[in-house]
Amino acid sequence: MKVKAKAPASLNKSKWWYYLLAIVFVLSYLLPIYVLLNLSVRTVQTMSETLPLPRVFNWNNYERAIANKDVWMGFINSIIIAAVTIVLEITVSALAAYGVARSNSWLTRSIRTINMLIMMIPGIALLVGTYGLMVKLGMVNSLLGLALLSGTGGIPGTMFMYVSFVISIPQALDEAASIDGAGVIRTFFRIILPQLKAITVTRVIMTAVGSWNNYLMPMFLLTNKAKYTIILVIKAVFAGSNGVKDVPYACATCAIGLLPIILLYLFLQRFIIEGQLDSSVK
Amino acid sequence: MKKKRRQYLMLTIPAILLLALFLGVPLVNGIRVSLYKWNGYSQNMRFIGIENFVKAFQDKLFFKTLGNTMIYGFGSTLFQNILGLSTALLLNQKFKGRNAVRAILYMPIMISGFIMGQILYFFVQMDGGVFNEMLGWFGIAPVYWTETGLKATIVCMIANSWQYMGICMILYLAGLQGIPDMYREAARLDGAGPMQVFRHVTLPLLIPSIISAVVLNLIGGFKMYDVIVALTGGGPSRGSLSLSYYIQLLYFQDEKAGYASAVGVIMFFVILVITIPINEFLKRREVEY
Repeated sequence: MKVKAKAPASLNKSKWWYYLLAIVFVLSYLLPIYVLLNLSVRTVQTMSETLPLPRVFNWNNYERAIANKDVWMGFINSIIIAAVTIVLEITVSALAAYGVARSNSWLTRSIRTINMLIMMIPGIALLVGTYGLMVKLGMVNSLLGLALLSGTGGIPGTMFMYVSFVISIPQALDEAASIDGAGVIRTFFRIILPQLKAITVTRVIMTAVGSWNNYLMPMFLLTNKAKYTIILVIKAVFAGSNGVKDVPYACATCAIGLLPIILLYLFLQRFIIEGQLDSSVK
Repeated sequence: MKKKRRQYLMLTIPAILLLALFLGVPLVNGIRVSLYKWNGYSQNMRFIGIENFVKAFQDKLFFKTLGNTMIYGFGSTLFQNILGLSTALLLNQKFKGRNAVRAILYMPIMISGFIMGQILYFFVQMDGGVFNEMLGWFGIAPVYWTETGLKATIVCMIANSWQYMGICMILYLAGLQGIPDMYREAARLDGAGPMQVFRHVTLPLLIPSIISAVVLNLIGGFKMYDVIVALTGGGPSRGSLSLSYYIQLLYFQDEKAGYASAVGVIMFFVILVITIPINEFLKRREVEY
């Protein structure tokens, strides 16, 4: 009894230092965003200071960034790539995962290992082969081609997630559907997919984020400026034009480019994190 | 039943076809190219057998880059696991604003590594960088954070760990939430102190989370690329290159496609040889409860 009474008391006493630690962490994680925003309202002349707020806010950087057509083109391109990637990756992976999980073969057991092996292949080592393939398929500077490529790249990981979730769905459900005369594909869309709603939403979000942030393949495959993703547009602005760097303007462009993903995160953070927590237990 | 099984396996056909085309073909092609001397675009390809692999073992920059890649792999794994476990232990306590803290610490994962590298560059810049500005408040002279290859490598490794620590945090948080309270309670009633409870109850039960975290971080760290591009550009004088970055430079800048492929093949085996034994070793320590 004595021990029990002691425990909550010591917990209360040490609580202040949870807060202290939490504040230190939070500050260190918000500082980069603050510095970015702070630089984005400065001018080239006043950008040597990064921490105190500037005396005059230079909103002109944002006006110029918004007026920049490349930014909007970048958004559209990124959205197209993300949409195609999501549809392709999720449908193909979920379907395959269902097949693998239910056929109860050696594949189900070894899929974790296979996934790990594929993950170990350095994406960049495939660059030589991939680039050659994309040239042959006429998919250089093609948004669709890039989406096909990165959608396929995501299949092993997504499939792995789905397999562990499909296994936890009782097989009796499939059998009931099959007695009612439903084929495998109909059973999948009618019975199984609705059970996988939570993981599907998580995967959709994570695929969207991954596709949006992808740097390597777009960098090499999209060389035509009209096909740039938003990340490539930001990169180009940071690099400056004609050797002249305008860092505050680049920061403003960067802030605008980050906005969609930050907004998505603000609204869905609970969902995203709960989803990650859920899938990491499996 | 057999017919049913065939139907199930049919569902995997689209996935297999796509993987064969976009992963299999480049893989086979990459391995083939590694046996040739080729600049990456001309018609002129000369078969030279394993010469590219022999070359790697005489290439000083290759070994330096391999060393850097080890720092990226093991360093990031160490940092991320320590940070991830500490933050997970913190967030596993009940306090106000816990969910907000969790959300903020996870946020950088949503941001492109390349963009985050660009932002963090403002921190380590020599002139007018954030860190040097802070040192200036205490009258300390500015530090050249990325002066040598080793320093630049460590800066990139820490930046990467800082950004992606949240993955570990979530893995450990999930693990911690899966441990029933009564185990710790029982140990406490038996007179174990908080450190003992952590060492003998919490940690062994976290092994599954530790395996996932270590393996994921190792693979991620070994493949590091975009943070380095944005933060140091591989410099000074190619001193902070990772193998991924080196392969890209070999292919696009030095026009040695064959050699680049060979380094890629070596890199895959290096990752394999390091990651698999660690995975097995950790697996053997798993406890059932």
